[in-house]
Amino acid sequence: MSNLLNRSGAIYRQLRAGDWLIIIFSLAITLLLFQTLWTNEHASKVQVRLGDTVYGTYSLNQNRDIVIEGGIGTSVISIAQGKVRFSKSPCHNQYCVHQGWLVRAGQAAICLPNQISLELIGENKPYDSLNY
Amino acid sequence: MAMAAIVINANKEPLYHAQGYVFGTLVDINIYGETEARASALANRVLQDFQQLHHQLHAWKNGPANQASQESASELMHVNTAFANSQQPVKLSPLLTKLLSDAQALSLRSEGLFNPAIGHLISTWGFQQDNFGVSKIDPDKIRSLVKANPAMSDITLKNGEVYSKNPWVKLDLGGYAKGYALDQAVQYLRGQQVQHALINIGGNIIAIGQHGNKPWRVGIQHPRKPAAIATLDLNDGWAIGTSGDYQRYFMLDGKRYCHIIDPRTGYPVQHTQAVTVLIPPQPHAGVLSDVASKPIFIETEDKKSHAAALLGIAYYMAISEDAHVLITENMAQEIEWLDEKFKLNAHVKLIKP
Repeated sequence: MSNLLNRSGAIYRQLRAGDWLIIIFSLAITLLLFQTLWTNEHASKVQVRLGDTVYGTYSLNQNRDIVIEGGIGTSVISIAQGKVRFSKSPCHNQYCVHQGWLVRAGQAAICLPNQISLELIGENKPYDSLNY
Repeated sequence: MAMAAIVINANKEPLYHAQGYVFGTLVDINIYGETEARASALANRVLQDFQQLHHQLHAWKNGPANQASQESASELMHVNTAFANSQQPVKLSPLLTKLLSDAQALSLRSEGLFNPAIGHLISTWGFQQDNFGVSKIDPDKIRSLVKANPAMSDITLKNGEVYSKNPWVKLDLGGYAKGYALDQAVQYLRGQQVQHALINIGGNIIAIGQHGNKPWRVGIQHPRKPAAIATLDLNDGWAIGTSGDYQRYFMLDGKRYCHIIDPRTGYPVQHTQAVTVLIPPQPHAGVLSDVASKPIFIETEDKKSHAAALLGIAYYMAISEDAHVLITENMAQEIEWLDEKFKLNAHVKLIKP
């Protein structure tokens, strides 16, 4: 038994500064990935609404552009690598485009002038409605 | 396996969700515990009522001028035309009489910080159109409009008629109508024996009952990101409203000009990003959720508590221009932070009662 302890002690002594750095680094990465991928609910689908109807529900696990004719013109919604955004809009202020990429369940972007909304859907919806 | 079961249950729950565009914003209705057919009929009726209210109250016309798509003038617009032209009383519908007298009382209580009479200032800043914004600020015009001092106390409501002693009064119920619509919807749905519903009109939300066996949960929008900063449970009869500088604004020379205008200076407020008020159950919870955030938004940080007290607001949160949060202790107990920066409380300052 004491022999075994001695031997494992020897292993620790054999580790160099670089090895420790790798161990600490991998622990940190694991923790970081755990935080971003596990604690924050990533979305799997996006629901697109045009006016008062659901235009479509799309998987985020694809790369594609969705082109929609809204009330004032053509909007383009881009899906890429688990994210979604308005990439083109005929509206004056371009708030929807400036919202950028949406990633997490419950995130939403709306284009009021063109009456198009995006909402990310995950396994758990973090809230029922957004006080925006 | 457990996860799959949750998903199946979630799909089966009797939750009906409808969306529509009214009041120039997004309306979101959740109804729980009704059959889909009944929930859909109820939601449609609520959306139609909103549409009708909008037709009566909108302060400007939608769509480009001289086009077929243009809306017809509302009752409110006729009143504004009359105010500008003479001091002769004009007839009012019973509904508008009620709304204007209520808005007048609230404006008085807020010491004029909630001022629906500054329609001319709002249009000068380019916010009375769908594609808003101006390319040039007109300081002379703004100065003269502030000097004209249009106020709700300038109008007199009598025998179902109204007149204004100040021709510069131009009514804009943009900070009132959505709240009134919430109260109206709650009254209608409760009258129809609906037990559980959540109604959201452009960020003003009111709750009836709850979401199954847990309360309705709402997210509070991050003023600068497409995400929620926090969530809170909205119990039966409670309402919540947010005014933000991100809802309607334009950028000019790197500066943000939002739709919330200080009636004392005539300029958009630039010291605050967002104000959220939480309203306990009361007869006009919806109206208060809409109206009360404005005076708190407009006042500087040291006077926000005073502005809140004027309208009897006990729960509120304000996010300043540099992203610091001022929050009442009781509201801090209600909310759950999602945003890491705020979660650490580094940016949060509690207001003691």
